[in-house]
Amino acid sequence: MATATRPERGESIVSRHHPVGASTGYMGNLRGDWKAQVAESWTVSPFAIELSALSETELPSLRQYLSAVPSLPFRYVSVHGPSKNRQLDEESLVSELTELARYADAIVMHPDTIDSADRYQGLGRKLLLENMDARKSWGRTRDELAASFADLPEAGFCFDIAHAWSIKPDMSVAADLLDGFSDRLRHVHLSSLSDELHHVPLTEEHEQLFGPLLDRCVDVPWILEAPPRAA
Amino acid sequence: MARGGTRPLDRLGSEAGREFPHLLAARERTAAGMGERRSSLAELKHDPDTCVVLMGSWGREEVTAESDDDFMILVDGSERDHVEPSVEAARGVFDRAPGEQGVFGEPVYCEELVENIGLDRDDNRNLTRRMLFLLESVPVTAEGVYSSARGKVLDRYLDESIKAFHPPRFLLNDTVRYWRTMCVDFAAKERAGPEKWGIRNAKLRTSRKILFAGGLLPLLDCSRFDRKAMREFLEQQLGMPPTDRIAKTFLEHGAVDAGARALGAYDEFLGRLNDESFRRELQEVTRDSADESAAFADVRRLGRDLQAGLLAVLYETDYLPQVVRDYAIF
Repeated sequence: MATATRPERGESIVSRHHPVGASTGYMGNLRGDWKAQVAESWTVSPFAIELSALSETELPSLRQYLSAVPSLPFRYVSVHGPSKNRQLDEESLVSELTELARYADAIVMHPDTIDSADRYQGLGRKLLLENMDARKSWGRTRDELAASFADLPEAGFCFDIAHAWSIKPDMSVAADLLDGFSDRLRHVHLSSLSDELHHVPLTEEHEQLFGPLLDRCVDVPWILEAPPRAA
Repeated sequence: MARGGTRPLDRLGSEAGREFPHLLAARERTAAGMGERRSSLAELKHDPDTCVVLMGSWGREEVTAESDDDFMILVDGSERDHVEPSVEAARGVFDRAPGEQGVFGEPVYCEELVENIGLDRDDNRNLTRRMLFLLESVPVTAEGVYSSARGKVLDRYLDESIKAFHPPRFLLNDTVRYWRTMCVDFAAKERAGPEKWGIRNAKLRTSRKILFAGGLLPLLDCSRFDRKAMREFLEQQLGMPPTDRIAKTFLEHGAVDAGARALGAYDEFLGRLNDESFRRELQEVTRDSADESAAFADVRRLGRDLQAGLLAVLYETDYLPQVVRDYAIF
């Protein structure tokens, strides 16, 4: 057959992806003011958002905010559950998360913070497990996450590509995670990492390095875990 | 008919390292049911220019426990008084009567399909019959008659107006028109009454979208071919069920993961649809009760995942986005 092909496009893979959204986790100066965090997120994207309640103390105010606001403009809303300052017993925490799940498409949790998977079963497919960075002792690799998914078979996968890079900068761990959990993939966390493994804006170098794997994630939201790179 | 060999859905599953068990089971169910029907219908007297055609889930190779036998007696000619086999004779062979809209279960004359494209003569019924015939049908008898009639419909669309390396706008417009017609008709049916809202909505989110995408994607891909090759490409594509056409598009445009997730969602929907309690719940869901239905929540989720994959291959691969921009809107 006579066929024609066209050259590949050279533009940024992030700029052509939809939807991209912001995590409120990087808006430290606005912490506690959900309205302001949502407004700031909206300037990044009106299509997706991750409401980050990394500290347990933020859960009540988030629930109060979501129950009071008529509706959010975003088509995809995820909530990042607590990973620090944990004081609630796990049953009470899951109860809080279940309430929040009424307003969200997804609840993201770190697998190393889950003591009893049974308690999380009620979150069903809304629960997403995120792969961890090199500082953590669990939930970093395909084998470690497989054990968590075995306990939570309905849970989806939140692919933090920078966390995977921190384990092996050659991206082999990242590729292995996608190979293992592609069918569970629900969204991507996107950023670069500082030397201390804190999320920082995605560098051009990392965007190029991550590109082939991000190409495998084009049908799910990408959540920016740091401000967009300045133009 | 190119329905055998290594099929694109199998290749997609193989490359993605996953299976589509419900789709494959539905294909096996379709093949078994088709074999039974072919044997019985072969006993009926046929005029030399007629064949029995099955559409809907039969054409998609997605037969479930409750699939209707949506058939038509296709006549490769013009309207006449007497047609063999008769609708009554064919109806006696099928287990489940066609729907009540008069789209199925009647003789359909190829001349009307070909000559009445557009304008007032092309009523909702003629449009539906033509598009289902092209996009999701399979011959049960007289395959040669079926191929001849389909060739005439394709010839009408691929007339002198088509250009090499451009999607065929006439057929593309009619395919898009049919999808939008289904969406508009859904709203009209809801206004007539809330009955079956849930199952109709579910189908619009899933199987109807598969039907549409199964036409849209190959038509956009026609932009890779010259006129002669375009015709061969479309003949070959239409010989496959829509899920194979869609799988092939994901494979050829390097979107294996997204394709596997999209068709994985559809696979899960088909599995659920084969469950009687799920189907019953959907039958009873209305717009007012939709938010309380677990079955409908699953449909929403699966429909969203299916659509996300389809949009990704249309908008985030290296070639199709430009074609979509140039042809899909205006």
